[in-house]
Amino acid sequence: MSKQIIFHPGALDEKDGKFVQMGNKCRDCGKTSYPAVELCPFCSSENKEKVPLSTVGTLFSFSVTRVPVGPYKPPIIGGYIDLPEGTRVFGQIHANVEDVKTGMKVKVETGIIWTEKDGTEVLGYYYVPCEAERGGAK
Amino acid sequence: MSRVAVIGVGQTKFVRSYPGSIREMVFEAFKEAMGDAQMTVKDIDATIVCSAPEYDKQRSPSGVLAEYLGLNPQPTFYAESLCSSSTTGLRLAYSLVKAGLHETVMIIGFQKMSEISAAESQERMGRGTDIQWEAPFGTMMPAYYAMFARGHMTKYGTTADDLAQVRIKSSTYGVFNDKAMLRKQLSADIFKDPASPMSGILASPLRVGDCCANADGASCIIVAGEKKAKASAKKPVWILGLGSATASVNMAGRELFYSLPAATEAANQAYKMAGVSPKDIDVAEVHDCFTIAEVLAYESLGFAKPGEGPALIRSKETYKEGRIPVNVDGGLLAKGHPVGATGGSQIRTVVLQLRGEAGDMQVKDPALGLVHNVGGVGLYANVSILGRQ
Ligand SMILES: [Zn+2]
Repeated sequence: MSKQIIFHPGALDEKDGKFVQMGNKCRDCGKTSYPAVELCPFCSSENKEKVPLSTVGTLFSFSVTRVPVGPYKPPIIGGYIDLPEGTRVFGQIHANVEDVKTGMKVKVETGIIWTEKDGTEVLGYYYVPCEAERGGAK
Repeated sequence: MSRVAVIGVGQTKFVRSYPGSIREMVFEAFKEAMGDAQMTVKDIDATIVCSAPEYDKQRSPSGVLAEYLGLNPQPTFYAESLCSSSTTGLRLAYSLVKAGLHETVMIIGFQKMSEISAAESQERMGRGTDIQWEAPFGTMMPAYYAMFARGHMTKYGTTADDLAQVRIKSSTYGVFNDKAMLRKQLSADIFKDPASPMSGILASPLRVGDCCANADGASCIIVAGEKKAKASAKKPVWILGLGSATASVNMAGRELFYSLPAATEAANQAYKMAGVSPKDIDVAEVHDCFTIAEVLAYESLGFAKPGEGPALIRSKETYKEGRIPVNVDGGLLAKGHPVGATGGSQIRTVVLQLRGEAGDMQVKDPALGLVHNVGGVGLYANVSILGRQ
């Protein structure tokens, strides 16, 4: 098996053989933040715990890039996802371009987002449209 | 309090690919500014060199350039804030003169972007965003501004045709600017014709024609304290107001996607310092790296109320004969955008306007001018107000 790394250390935790996207919950003001930083961005408290982020969110805004960028081939759908805990996260949307709409529900998935020249697989997250029963577009 | 004036301006022609090195390119802008100020190297007490280092092959370019321009042993400093680097240089130069450390300071802005491919420069420019949390997912500048265009469209009903009007205006004035890279009048048809290279989507909803092009170029601005300015310059242009602000790099930290809060904050600071209001401005240069960016600038600067930027361009009030002429030198969209040189080029245009030396681009008798220069996607913003008096 080729070597695997996480695109940014600490962004994902391994739980029961699966990768989970992690943020910070502040024990003082109760707000959740992502990415995890030293001080709570809302109240500057250091008293925080690492928590898994919600897996379903709402697409706040997006753009479809029609030229290659870094390891990615077009179309690249990038967007901001608002999570129920009040946190906004950036990521790619893996979907048919015509299905992507502002306000749609998306869920997070984790996996290989690119492969380095030496074969190292880089793990990260991306979002996919949710099924209708979860409030999604399709 | 002693004032500070711009007493010399120069820039190279902005081109797709400059054939020489950064030294020779910067020398062209330097020579023009020195001739304009009628100065020799002994008159320059310090230099501030500005560029966005991700495009530079030369590390620490300020030392190399100071030597080449014959500016040893005077001190030289390096300043960087992405696309707004050279107006950051203006602010620092102003502070050095006001502090009494130096009487005359030169601000050199440059960028030679042609040494790397367009795709690589897009990716490098994307690294000017958050490289830990956003760039790994394939970001580039047009995609961010595209999200602001989408935000403005959703909130205010702005259309792709409104954005096209900005590009058409810039092309109108690019024709008159012999320093501009693109000097061809464009019509709305180019956006409607699917065969036109301008109509292709780059990052939805932005088309190729909504985006400025990379360029090579350099700018040079000379500022001096009141005594020196009055003694040496026929038409000093006074720095009356300076504003500077920042916003979060990671866009997830921004609540709104239809305005750039750092630009609004910088504008408010500059108006307050100059003791003027938006209606007093006679001519403006704004950072139109994308068509939507010019619309956002109208609103940040108070030339239009939030959401009314599209109506301002539709009514042609930002044309030369309008209420508030904006980018009547073609802006970044026609001139091209050599990142580190852009702010200096904007200052040069406003200085020439205030002196009545802007030729075919001249606005009728302006007394107050404004420069709006933004780095990243509203990450850094500098607003400068200049005046004849
Ligand atoms: Zn907190």
